[in-house]
This record gives sequence, C-alpha cells and structure tokens, in this order.
Amino acid sequence: MSLMDTIEEQRSATLTRIQAAGTTAELEQVRVEVLGKKGTLTALLRGMGEVAPEQRGAVGKAVNEVRDEIETRLAERKEALATAELDARINAEALDITLPGRARPIGTQHLISRLTDEIVEVFRGIGYRVVDGTEVETDYYNFTALNAPPDHPSRGMQDTFYVVDRSGAEAAVKGESDVLLRSQTSGVQVHTMEDSELPIYILAPGRVYRRDVADPTHLPQFTQIEGLVVDKGITFGDLKGTLEYFCKQVFGADRKTRFRPHFFPFTEPSAEVDVSCGICGGAGCRSCGGTGWLEILGCGMVDPNVFGYVGIDPEEYSGFAFGVGVERVACLKYNVPDLRMLLEGDMRFLRQF
Amino acid sequence: MKVSVKWLKTMVEVPADLQTFADKLDLTGTAVEDVQITGAALEGIVVGHILTREKHSDADKLWVTTVDVGSNNLGEDGVPKPLQIVCGAQNFVAGDKVPVALVGATLPDGNTIKKVKMRGVESRGMNCSARELGLGTDHAGLLILHPAAPVGLPIAEHLDLSDAVIDLEITPNRPDCMSMLGVAREVGAVYSTPYGIGRDVPEAPIGEPTDKLVKVSIEDPERCPRYTARIIKGVKIGPSPEWLAERVRAAGARSINNIVDVTNYIMFELGQPLHAFDLDTLTKDAGGKAHIVVRAATPGEEFTTLDGVNRTLDEDITCIVDGNADDGAGETIALAGVMGGLASEVTDKTVNILLESATFSSAHTSRTSRKLQLFSEASARYERGVDGTTSDTFVARAAALMVEVAGGILCEGVVDTYPAPVQTPVLDLRVARLQNFIGAPLSATEATEILTRLGCIVEPGAATLRVTPPTYRPDLLREVDLYEEILRIWGMDRVESTLPGGRGRIGEKSDEQKKLEVIGRALRASGLNQTMTYAFSSAADSEILNMPFEEHQQAVALINPMNSEQGFMRRSILPGLLRSVAYNQNHGVSNVHLYEIGTVFFAAEGRKLPKERQLVTGILAGSWVESTWNTAAALDFFDGKGVIENLLRELNTVKVRFKPLEADVAPWLQPGRAAEVLAGSKRLGWLGEVHPRVCAAFEAAAPIVAFELEIKALLAAAEQARPYKDVPQFPAVELDLAIVVAEDVTAEKVAQIITSAGGVLLDEVRLFDVYRDADKIGVGKKSLAFALSYRASDRTLTLDEVEKLHQKIINKVTNATGGDVRS
Repeated sequence: MSLMDTIEEQRSATLTRIQAAGTTAELEQVRVEVLGKKGTLTALLRGMGEVAPEQRGAVGKAVNEVRDEIETRLAERKEALATAELDARINAEALDITLPGRARPIGTQHLISRLTDEIVEVFRGIGYRVVDGTEVETDYYNFTALNAPPDHPSRGMQDTFYVVDRSGAEAAVKGESDVLLRSQTSGVQVHTMEDSELPIYILAPGRVYRRDVADPTHLPQFTQIEGLVVDKGITFGDLKGTLEYFCKQVFGADRKTRFRPHFFPFTEPSAEVDVSCGICGGAGCRSCGGTGWLEILGCGMVDPNVFGYVGIDPEEYSGFAFGVGVERVACLKYNVPDLRMLLEGDMRFLRQF
Repeated sequence: MKVSVKWLKTMVEVPADLQTFADKLDLTGTAVEDVQITGAALEGIVVGHILTREKHSDADKLWVTTVDVGSNNLGEDGVPKPLQIVCGAQNFVAGDKVPVALVGATLPDGNTIKKVKMRGVESRGMNCSARELGLGTDHAGLLILHPAAPVGLPIAEHLDLSDAVIDLEITPNRPDCMSMLGVAREVGAVYSTPYGIGRDVPEAPIGEPTDKLVKVSIEDPERCPRYTARIIKGVKIGPSPEWLAERVRAAGARSINNIVDVTNYIMFELGQPLHAFDLDTLTKDAGGKAHIVVRAATPGEEFTTLDGVNRTLDEDITCIVDGNADDGAGETIALAGVMGGLASEVTDKTVNILLESATFSSAHTSRTSRKLQLFSEASARYERGVDGTTSDTFVARAAALMVEVAGGILCEGVVDTYPAPVQTPVLDLRVARLQNFIGAPLSATEATEILTRLGCIVEPGAATLRVTPPTYRPDLLREVDLYEEILRIWGMDRVESTLPGGRGRIGEKSDEQKKLEVIGRALRASGLNQTMTYAFSSAADSEILNMPFEEHQQAVALINPMNSEQGFMRRSILPGLLRSVAYNQNHGVSNVHLYEIGTVFFAAEGRKLPKERQLVTGILAGSWVESTWNTAAALDFFDGKGVIENLLRELNTVKVRFKPLEADVAPWLQPGRAAEVLAGSKRLGWLGEVHPRVCAAFEAAAPIVAFELEIKALLAAAEQARPYKDVPQFPAVELDLAIVVAEDVTAEKVAQIITSAGGVLLDEVRLFDVYRDADKIGVGKKSLAFALSYRASDRTLTLDEVEKLHQKIINKVTNATGGDVRS
C-alpha cells in the first residue's frame, strides 16, 4: 500500500470513528489516538524523514490537510456532543417545582399588635408621641382624676379588678384597697398632663382589664389606644377632622364617619364615632345590625374638671381625647368570630396575619 | 328606656318614618338600641264570625265551629268560604265575633297554626283567647270582640294594637329622659315642635284633710330632700282598664292591679317614682294618725321586700319607717327609692292608700341597689336623680288617676316635707368662646333658641347669654355643659372638620421604642410568631415553676379575681406560653414557635404599687418545618440559642455569653440544658429546655425550648451601632484543629484559649464538629473540631508563619485542657 493510500485510509477510518463517537469522552479518545503524541497521524508526520524527498512535499501536504480536516471534524463533533450532553443533563435535573420551598417560615406579628402599630403610625404621621403607663394603677388616676363620680358603678368590685394594697396604710391593713388593674388607658392622660410640657399630642396604647367573663365578644383583658391633645385653640372641629382622618386611614378612604353625641365623665361634649359598614356600604345588613354603621370609638373635648385635677387652665387651653378598642377594630376589619382566639396562641390562627 | 311610639304620639308630633326618627335621636344624643314593632306579630290573625257551633261527636268538651273569615279564605269559585275550626273554649255562642288564627299564622308564643285533625275532625285554624294573643292573662275563654267588628280585618288593626316600642339608651347625665314626658320634651326640642302631657285626668272628689291622717319626718335631708304624701280612701282594687294596662306593658312592666299600675304609669309618664302603702297596715297614734319617718337603717336589721326576699340592712341604706310602731325605733316599711315591703303592700283587700312621692339621694340609692343586688325601675330613676320640684304636682295627678280607675275619695291637700329645696345655677354663656370651642359659626340667636327649646330661661345679650337651666336638668352646671347641649341639637355633622394647627410637635419614636421594634422584627425573622396570653396566673403556676423569687418579688394578688386560676398577676410569661404549646399540641399542631412581649408584676411589703417589668419570652416545640419531603430536625437547646444570637446581633449587643445554670437556681429547666444569658457581666435572662416535669404539669409534650429575657436589660446592653471594620484585602489561610477533651471541658473554654493564643493574626475561630465515639476516642471524651482562619490586614501570610502559629495554639490548648490533638 502506498503512503498516500495509508493516509487516505487513516483519514476515512478516523472520520468514521469521529462520527461514531457517542460521548465527548469517546471523542477525546479518538483525538488522543490519532492526533496525540503517540497518535497514528502524528506517527506519520514523524516518519516524514523516511519518505523520499521528492514525495515529501505531496505527502506532507496530504497529512496536514488530513490533520486539519480531522481537527475541524473533531471540533464540530465535540460541540454537537457537548450540546446533547448538556441537554440531557438539564432534562435529568428538572425539578418538581411545586414541592415546598426549604426556607424557615418567617414569624408573624400578632393581629392586635399589628393593628396597634398601624394605628400608632397613623397618628405618628400627624405628630403624636407614644407614651406608656403602668397596668396597675390607683383609683385616683383611673377614676377620680378623670371625673368619674364616687359611686359610679364602674368603680365597683363587680366591674373592676382590685389588687391587695401592701402599703401598710391603715385602710390597707383592714383589707381595703384603692389599687386596681386599670380599666382604661385614660389614666395615662392624667400622668402625661401632670408630667409633660404643653402642648400635648400623645397616643397611649396598652392593656386594660375589666371583670367580664371571657366569651366570644368579651375578654377580661384587652387593648385600648388612648389619644390626647391639649393645646391652645383646639376645637371640636379639630377632633372631628382628626378622627375622620384616622378612620379613613385605618378602614379605607371610601368609608364615612358620623359623630353621635354621648356621655363620658372625662369629656364634655362627648361623642361616639361610627364608621360606615364595609360590608353593605351603609345600606344596612346583618353585620351592622341593619343600621349601616359600626361603632368604633368614644371621644370628646377634655372636661374642665379633668384640667382642674392637673392644674391646666381651661380658659387658656382646650383639648380632646379619644379611646379606641383595638380588639373591636380587629373584629370589624377581620371578622374574628371569637375574641378568645386572640389569647390562645393557636399557630393556625396566628399565622393567618 | 322603652318608649311606645303610640303613646309618645299623644304628647308630641313624631315623624311617620321610624327610621328617620331613630336616626335623628341617634344624632342628637339619644341612642336607639332597638325598635320592636308590636302587633305585627299577630300577622295572620283576623276577625272571625262564628256561624255555627256543634258538639264534637267524639269529645265532650270540644266544639266544631264554622267561622267566616271573609276574603282570607276563598272557595274555588272565588267567594269567601267559612273555615271549619275545632275549639275547646266554652264561653261563646254562634254569632260571636272572635280572633281567628289562620293556618300559617304564628302566635306570640312561637306556635305556628297548622291544619290538623282533632279526634278525627279536621280543623283549619284556631279561635283565640286574649292570652294566646299576648293581650293579657285571661285564658278562661275566647276573646269576644265587639259585634260590629269587621269580619276578616287583621286583629291588630281592629284592636289598634300596632305600636312600635323603641328602646332608648339614656346616658347617666340625662335623668330627665327617664320618662315619656322627658322624651316628648327632647323630641320637641330636637324638632322644634310643642309637646304636652297628653291624657287628661278628671278631678277627684275631695275628702277630709290629709294632714289629719299622716305626718312625715325626715331625719337627714341629704338622704331625702323632699317627701310628699297623699291619701286616697275607699278604693276598690281590681284590674286596670285596658288603656292603662297597655301603657304599663308597653313601658316594660306587668299589669298588676289598678293602684299599682297607676304608680308605675305615673313613673313612666312623668319620671316620678311613687309608692302606694296600704294605709290600714300602718300603726296609728292615739289621734289615728300614721307617722312616716325617713332615716338610716339600723345596722343588721332584717327586712322583707315585696319580692318576698329577706334582706339584711346597714346604716348606709335609707328606710321608710312606721314611726308609731311599738318598739319606739319604728318598723321599716320600705327601702327608700328601691322597693317597698311585703307587710305594707297593696293587696286585693286594700281600701285606703298612702301614696308616697319623694326625692331620695342618688348615691345612697345606687349603693343600696348594688349592695342588695336589687334593681328596680324606681332605683334606676333615683340613681340618676329625680327632680325634687315636681313631686307635689305629679303626685296630685297620680292620686286623681287612682280615683278615676279605682274609685274612692281623695283626701284634701298634701303633706309635703321639703327641707332641702332644689338650687338652680345661673350660667353665663360667652358666645365667642362657644364658637371658638366648637369651631363653628354659632350665633347668639341660634344658641338662645336651642337652649330655650331645651327648657332653659335665657336672658339675651350680644356677647354673653345668662342661662338658667330647668330643674329637671341637674347635669347643666357649667358653661361647657351648655356648649354640649347647643352642639348636639345644632348638629355635630354641621361642624367643619379641621386638623389642629399647633406648632412644635414631632411624631418621634424614642430610642427604646425603636429597639423594641427591632426585638420583635428579629424574633419574627428567626421564625417566631408573636402571641398574647393572660396576664393572670395562679398559685399553682408558681409552685410548678418554682422560680426562686426574692422577698421583694411577691406575686400581686387580686382581691376579686374571675376564678382561682387567675388569682394573681404573672411573674413570668412562661406558663402562658406553655399553655399555648399544650393547646396547639392538643389540636394536632406540633410545631410551635411563639414569643410574647409583655408585662410581669412584682409586689413588695410596704409598697403600694407593684413594680412592672417587660419581658420577652419565646418558646419552641416540634420542628421548624413540617416534616414532608424535607427532613425536619426536632428543635433543641441550640435552636433557642440561635434565636437569641440572632436577636442580640440585631441589637448590636457585644460580649454575649451563655453560662450553665445549675438545677438549684433554675428548677424549671432541664439540668444540663439550661443557661444564663449574659452581656458582659449583665444578666439578660435565661434559656433552656423546659424540665420534663414542668412540661408534664402543663400537659405539654417535651422537649420544649424556652427563653425569657428582660427588655430593660436588652435595651441597656444594645449598642447604637457596630463599628466599621475594613473588609479583608488579603487572603486567609484556613487550618483545622480537632482536639479530644474530657466532657466537662466546654467548647467556649477551648475557643477562648485558641483566641487568646492566636493573637491578631487569628481572624476567626469556628466550631464545626462535635464528635463522640467510645471506641475511637474513649469514654467520657469528645472531639471538638475548629476551623481557624489566619489573616493579616497588611500582607499575604506565608504558610510557614501560619504553621508556626498554629503549632503554638495547639500546644497552649493541649496544655490548658489536658486534651490531645486528634489525628
């Protein structure tokens, strides 16, 4: 066989093997066997010294041509195989993306504290500070300084929790006590007016206690947010504007509010505020008892007697106060059917909000 | 306060549309709690004409009747067809007209009339008695209607029964609205229309002078500012006429007899509570005179009220006493303002009446009612305050009405003891201040007009009005009280809404509030869910946890708890959260991750108010995630520790340490899995696995990891920010170090030795494995593997210098711990 034939034979055999290679690894094998240091084609090139000088030019040219062709084919084949292999791997690696994610679920905020924050933020936006008060109070701050009459039923053992007075005072030794679990956050008003510079724009969220048996609509402990403004020239119109703004922020811009005159010992004039029912839009339905309105808070202009207790001159200053029950707002916004759910710690309930 | 619209319409004009009326009352301060349409319940009950009455062939006492109900029952030919109704009453004859409940009608007692067979005879409806229609107690037989009653007409229409009873919420400052007259006056003021008293009472025949028969003494005018007595002789006790019974029922009372009904009627009509004594049960003096004494009760005295209950009195209670009684001190015949006595009550045999119309102190009445748990329509009015100026005129109307409905003769004159006349204030109303206070352009004319409508006497003036409120408005004591009256009648909805324009306010957050928010956010980011539990606790809780509290950390005891499980205020939030874990586990939820930020309470002898502290408490049970296709490891101590580490990182707390807690100081935690959390030397709180004994006591399945940290300590240990450190410019060299040490050598200690030996070039020490194997490394030993990262801030370290340092560290650690390097 002539050298040229051998070259041709190698060429066609190698091209066949390239075509037959099924994986990039097989292809590499071919490359090593033909073009590697000890490869067959490499051997031919090395053996050029033995070729007759007159043939060298032709043989050399043929071998180089064959090598170029093989290299080109190898590259083409490699590209094709690599693409196929990647496709295969991608196919194999496809996931059932409906399987649950692996993240640890982030925790949730309790509905009442979430709503409290939401309400607090509304008022912070119009310049209110948040102040705290203690949950155990004296009847002076919870009732007397808020102008509650001495024989008011809410002061009774039936309505308000009293705790043992350990002061050692004579009455305390006899078992009497004027120390109680606050029944309203309004006492914070009095402390603030006693301790703060005027003007006052505050919000006091906190836990309060009343002697109600826990049932779907009552809890012996719940959350109130008290607001107080004392400044020069505060009008009933300011009270209205402030609470209308609050209602729209919390319940939605499309909700209407109305003020109904009412009575509270610590404000004069006093009012209850209703927001239009979100379910029927004010037409009247079961959830609003057919009235089209839902009662959400009590408010009024600070009674001059309350100013009297803290030494603020009602001729110079006026102000307003309001109290919102956060559990009530929760019921209205989320239709919580049973208030006791708020205190059970049921993960299935908590994780909804 | 129940108000019959039918009755009210006789006193003042009322809008035809009840909803409009109710809205108007709502918006002027008289909340409408309920509107009941009465009479409408008698739908399907019509006037029937009994055509025939035959004996039932199979029952002695039943009648088979045919009853014409007009067009309410039509035959196939479209012509009215009588109904066959079986009836058990005996008091009727053919030709009578009676109420007939048609098939499908529902009676006031809730029964619905159906087509039935009675002893084999079909009955299509029911002939009704007065009681079956809710119109009285008479059930002796059918209610026989007037012969002219139009057949087929709804019975409610025929008897003019249709009424609406609106239930008004009367606020404590409005005693004047506790009567029909007061409500009529309020409606008159709201709509600017006249009102009146309505029904006239004829004049009664006059007998002997009242003051010959009774005298009255008041011992303490503060308890009883006025007592007025009248006497009516020769009455005949019997049922009330229907108009009177109907009105008393509409107001929410039972009709009892003509005399008692008049006392109730006048109370509902005019707001003046009255009491009728049987004059003949009272002891007379030699001249035949009864002696009424109003005085404090004798402590410990017993008295039977007319509800038959025996009650023990004290000196705060005011009594009406029969001053002629044998024992000299007198015998109690009534509790002033609350309820009369059984012995002197009006009975069927009563002939002569002593009628009391008095004013009693609201404070005493209120306390008496609450103390005895005895609330009456009278006490509700005295509690709010009864106008003392009208007791004489109102009792005159009552006495005349008694004669009208029960016969007899009215004794001449009145015995009226009035030691403490009502004082009315005179108030100056500054119109400009009113405008500035309300924020509305109310004119002096409008203010004058509204106050006049409300019964005030107003002396006009351009700048200041001089106002005398009526005696029935004891709540109008100050200028601002008049503002409220003007505002509510003028209309709150008419006031323009504005926002306060004050200067110098900033809606700021304190540092503390900001950090508190960080605490909540960090815990939620770690996967904990915020909850709230009761702030109450029980003695048993303290016993189970056995937390070692100091002398000044006693539990706050409630005097009047709701129940024994809530007898104290909590000193730890842990029990509440353990209950929540148990609640979840009982409901099939095993993965529980909760936290609460709340108050705990500590009392101390000699201190009036307890100390309140804020705690943040977390609890973990189960796994982080549901075990589905992911493996979910059971939560343990280190999951809790990781939560705290995250939290303290977010709070920029430095020098955080966890120190083992011994069983005697933390008995509620499992020994060996309990730690104190410290920042430097400051205690922040505790962390650990809750003792299985404690878990069991709360019926919660262990293991449960919990921690409780003091908010105040957390805030104090929180730094404002972390200092900036240069990001590394040169590569680190990582070398591992595994050392076998005795079990009692803590990882923290080994890490400390490594850190101190490593100096500035040792950048980071990280524990990556803890390994125990009795065969390979020995019993009571563990292998701790650390990754040490060496780095210089100014150059690339050479392997040579790192290896030298690493060897130095190994020597220090093995020397200090007695451990061996694990090959």
